[in-house]
Amino acid sequence: MSALSAWWSERSKRPLAVAGVALVGAALLTWAPVGASAADEPVVVGRSAAAKPAYSQTKRLERVFVNAAGEREVQIQNDVTVTADQTRNLRGRQRINIAWKGAQPSGGRASSPYGEKGMAQEYPVVVLQCRGVDSASVAAAQRLTPETCWTATNLQRSQVAVSRGAAVWTKDLDASADYRQPFSGIDPNPASCKSAVVPDLWTRLTPFRPLKGTAFPACSSDTMPPEAAVGAAFPPAEVAAFTDTEGNGSIQFEVRSDVENESLGCSNKVKCAVVVIPIVGLSCAQEESPATPVDQACRRGGQHLPGSSNFAGQGVDAAVSPSYWWSPSNWKHRFTVPITFGLPPNTCDVLDSRPATGFYGSELLAQAGLQWAPAYCLDKKRFKFQHNQMSDEAGFNLMEKGGGAAAIVSSAHERKGDDPVGYAPTAVTGFGIGYVIDRPNNAGEYERLRLNPRLLAKLLTQSYLGSDLGRDHPGIKENPLGLMSDPEFTKLNPGLKLDSQETGATLLGLANASDVVEQLTAYIAADEAAMAFVNGKADPWGMKVNPAYRKVSLPRSSWPLLDEYIPKTGSTCRQQNPAVYFSQLAAPVPTMRRISESLLDAWPNVQTKCEYDAPTALYKVGRVDRQSYGARFMLGLVSLGDAARFGIRTAALQAKGGSYVAATDASLGAAVKLAEREKRYGAFEISQQDLRRSTRAYPGTMVVYTAARLRNAGQEDADKVAQFIRVSITEGQRPGSGNGQLPGGFLPITKRGVTAELYAAAQEVATAVEKQRPAPTPKPSGTPSSTPSTAAPAVDAADPPAAAPTGVAPSAAPSAVPTVSATTAPVATDPTASISSGTASRVMPTLLLIGLLGIALASLLRFVVQGPRRR
Amino acid sequence: MTTTMSGPDSPVTEPTPSSAPQRRADSKPPRPPRAPRPARAARPQDAKVAGVSSAVTMVALVTCWVFLQMLVLGGLSHERSQDLLYRDFRGQLANLTAPMGDQPIDPGTPVALVQVPAIGMDEVVVEGTASGDLLAGPGHVRSSVLPGQDGESVLMGRGASYGAPFGEIGDLQAGDPITVTVGQGVKTFTVLGVRRAGDPEPQPRPAGTARLTLISAEGEGRLAALSPGEVVYVDAEAPEAFGAPAGRPAGVPAAEKPMATDRSSALPLLSLCLALLLALTLAVVAARQRYSAVLVWVVATPVALALAWQTTDVVMRLLPNLV
Repeated sequence: MSALSAWWSERSKRPLAVAGVALVGAALLTWAPVGASAADEPVVVGRSAAAKPAYSQTKRLERVFVNAAGEREVQIQNDVTVTADQTRNLRGRQRINIAWKGAQPSGGRASSPYGEKGMAQEYPVVVLQCRGVDSASVAAAQRLTPETCWTATNLQRSQVAVSRGAAVWTKDLDASADYRQPFSGIDPNPASCKSAVVPDLWTRLTPFRPLKGTAFPACSSDTMPPEAAVGAAFPPAEVAAFTDTEGNGSIQFEVRSDVENESLGCSNKVKCAVVVIPIVGLSCAQEESPATPVDQACRRGGQHLPGSSNFAGQGVDAAVSPSYWWSPSNWKHRFTVPITFGLPPNTCDVLDSRPATGFYGSELLAQAGLQWAPAYCLDKKRFKFQHNQMSDEAGFNLMEKGGGAAAIVSSAHERKGDDPVGYAPTAVTGFGIGYVIDRPNNAGEYERLRLNPRLLAKLLTQSYLGSDLGRDHPGIKENPLGLMSDPEFTKLNPGLKLDSQETGATLLGLANASDVVEQLTAYIAADEAAMAFVNGKADPWGMKVNPAYRKVSLPRSSWPLLDEYIPKTGSTCRQQNPAVYFSQLAAPVPTMRRISESLLDAWPNVQTKCEYDAPTALYKVGRVDRQSYGARFMLGLVSLGDAARFGIRTAALQAKGGSYVAATDASLGAAVKLAEREKRYGAFEISQQDLRRSTRAYPGTMVVYTAARLRNAGQEDADKVAQFIRVSITEGQRPGSGNGQLPGGFLPITKRGVTAELYAAAQEVATAVEKQRPAPTPKPSGTPSSTPSTAAPAVDAADPPAAAPTGVAPSAAPSAVPTVSATTAPVATDPTASISSGTASRVMPTLLLIGLLGIALASLLRFVVQGPRRR
Repeated sequence: MTTTMSGPDSPVTEPTPSSAPQRRADSKPPRPPRAPRPARAARPQDAKVAGVSSAVTMVALVTCWVFLQMLVLGGLSHERSQDLLYRDFRGQLANLTAPMGDQPIDPGTPVALVQVPAIGMDEVVVEGTASGDLLAGPGHVRSSVLPGQDGESVLMGRGASYGAPFGEIGDLQAGDPITVTVGQGVKTFTVLGVRRAGDPEPQPRPAGTARLTLISAEGEGRLAALSPGEVVYVDAEAPEAFGAPAGRPAGVPAAEKPMATDRSSALPLLSLCLALLLALTLAVVAARQRYSAVLVWVVATPVALALAWQTTDVVMRLLPNLV
């Protein structure tokens, strides 16, 4: 925009200069609101931004040394406030935002703060998930202690065989006499840890007590719980987070339920907590005189400057490192954030033996369905609701054929049967382009990604080269390797790393047909610049569309893999496993949930990793490794529900002109306002053309409907569907984390406000579904097409015309009818049609006649008229 | 057919010597001059008569050749095709690679062996019923199941030309056996009856049985053997059918229906053949300037025969497929 105005004012003469200035002004005006909104905290749809944090507490943390004279010296005194945004009814892998202020600024920042890798830091804030209640009044078994806190390695909880000078916990001011022993933490010492007892070396174990069974001594990696095995399914969640030089910090902490971590065992029945320990350094007991090495080690104050990085993993001062979070003076500083878990996903199967009524369709409703289902199955007055996820189209077809009571769809679908279908709005949500992108120099995650339709078109059409392997792709040799090297992207998102990664060339998308893909591609199709690019016009920087996708028809409900380019390389692995490179980059997955989990783990689904398998002497190709913290760059198509649940950031998408709109209550509401319904009981259409005319509406907005037949549905099913529509539109629209409430990522539908029309429509459809129109009588033409398919075997005996045989060209249609008739009287059949051909009957006689005539005539001419010739 | 070649040839290369003696002499000096024709003086209308005579001769020869090929030479070609197909199909049966119909079969490949002892028929059936396919033997309608499979299988065959494999199906009687060998095994059908235009169609097929319909053409009247203009059907049934895989095409192209012609594939081929014939003619003309007639015709005759044969085969595609 500013480039345009610069160009404009350069070209303009004096009278036009005014216009140029005005244009710059207009540009600034459109930029201003974007800047303002991006500076705010990321707002989750459906959750009021002003809401009070679920947990907030302030504590005074002190680091105290007792000098040789026995005097207390307070070294550091901080008033730290810790807040958490959600604590109730959490689900496995949900991420909650933990924030703090007033903490000691951190130094020596590690490249990854998670798990073992986060130990080499100074003054971090340790965040752990622990089981139990943090109160002295509960029984010892239910109490929260360091022994019920989860760590992914034993090094994070135990110090084994360290020298006397490094055994700083023995000098802890708050430590009991037990800590001062050369070997402590477990008594008696089990056989598996005998090796941890070494003369003249000091050991402190923090065993892990699982929910069930005996404690794991944690003296080596073999004596840790199974979930802590090397290469476990989930990356470590516990974190030693960084505090900035102002003392503020925040982290998205992923909680684990007993599904993910059985040893820890947190569930709706087992109380758990997130423990936040801001490290201010160990408090040290009375100094000996002269000071011993361990006295000095305990009193160290850090060797890294606040705000500095420690990517090389250099040593840190033990006294201020996160390794000793369990040492009493650190443990004393903990903030315990009690959390509760929601009912597990299989609650209804376990607690309710009634057969479930399946609603089939869109994954967009998944998170809401998870919270809604218990509100049905645990109430005996209601039916047992089950949301089965499949493509919208398949769900709709199933519903039309009577296989499902209702379909969950997010757009109108073409009817294949004769029965009318009603669409009841059930939720307002949508899709988002989820991302996890780190800023350079460990400056944290990028939080204001902006994308326009052309960039999405470039990603979807596989027009980025990915790596040098794509360089020889015919037609697009000059294209950038990925988003990072695309000037259009860097202009829109300044300040990111420019080094290319293969994941910068792809948007992890859906392999299946979905209304989400339809809406995404419609967004691209509604943009002139994006369509010009798709149709073959190079962008202003000379990037061209991949010829395999040139003029691909948009919008479409599933995205095909069309490229066929197999790179020629010298790599033995690639020669043995030839594959279409761009398809390996794209590697779409069947569900949006898997995309969300890939983003959560920063583990792209790019399938280009080559490995040599020594036993079989074969090369194989597989998924690349998880991206390392600090260098993450990944985009994926997610549902707003998943994004809210897992704390995944979604990009702001370009709307009218230069404005970029993120998914918020307001922007979803603005989009709903544009929705139009053509006919009664029909679906509301939010057309991308309309969305493109608004500067405030989020283009990814989608309304999820419960679609059900208004005729022939069966009264029992119809009543259930009507009940579901009514309950979900009222009770189901109350935001919250409890059973039956609306999770984040959904805009509540209310009786008043922008969603009033949707509310009214849902009520109307509920009544119509419940009533079920009578069988059609007005048009007799409708009857034959609908009845024979279902009722033919019962009535065919009385229906001889149906037994009419096939025509001349016998068709392969042996119906059940002939078997009945064959045993009884012969059927009157049609006469054989006459097929004749004049050509066929005349061709040979004609040839013969002409031949004979010709011979006769030639002979006549030759011998009679010309007379004999002699040679 | 040699004369077909000499047709366009003769007005140029064999004019009366008086009409163009110098040119002959110019172009071929070593040739000794012919003896003058003393018998009768050339009359002015002689050239015209000679032209007409040559043209009529040519037409007569072309038509006779085509007639001959349809009735006699075509029979030879049909016999040879059958030999090759039989060898092919026998190998496939032995190797268990004979087509089952579970995937599309290329037209022209053998699919079954049909034996009708009552009329002495023993033919390998090929896939496809376009006019060109039926030159080799009876054809199987591609949209129907293979013979012996659960469903209605339809075979078509020529009634008069190219060996007339189905020439005598009109003589079959109800109860005659038809033995069919396909990849799934051997099946014996019993003829239900012969059916001509106006006769009632057979009763609906009972479930689990195999139906076989043979279609050909026959003539009426004095030249019945030469005028196969009416379609004739023979229906046969076998009590227990082989399983029929799904995946047959829903319909067949117009060129594969009874009495259809195959214009679209024939015309390009025909133009190619005619172009080759023209090229041969020009080559003969050119060669005659330099070499003796004997030498030229010894070399050109086999080529001319082969081309004429091929061209006639292509012309057959333009005629109805059941002829």
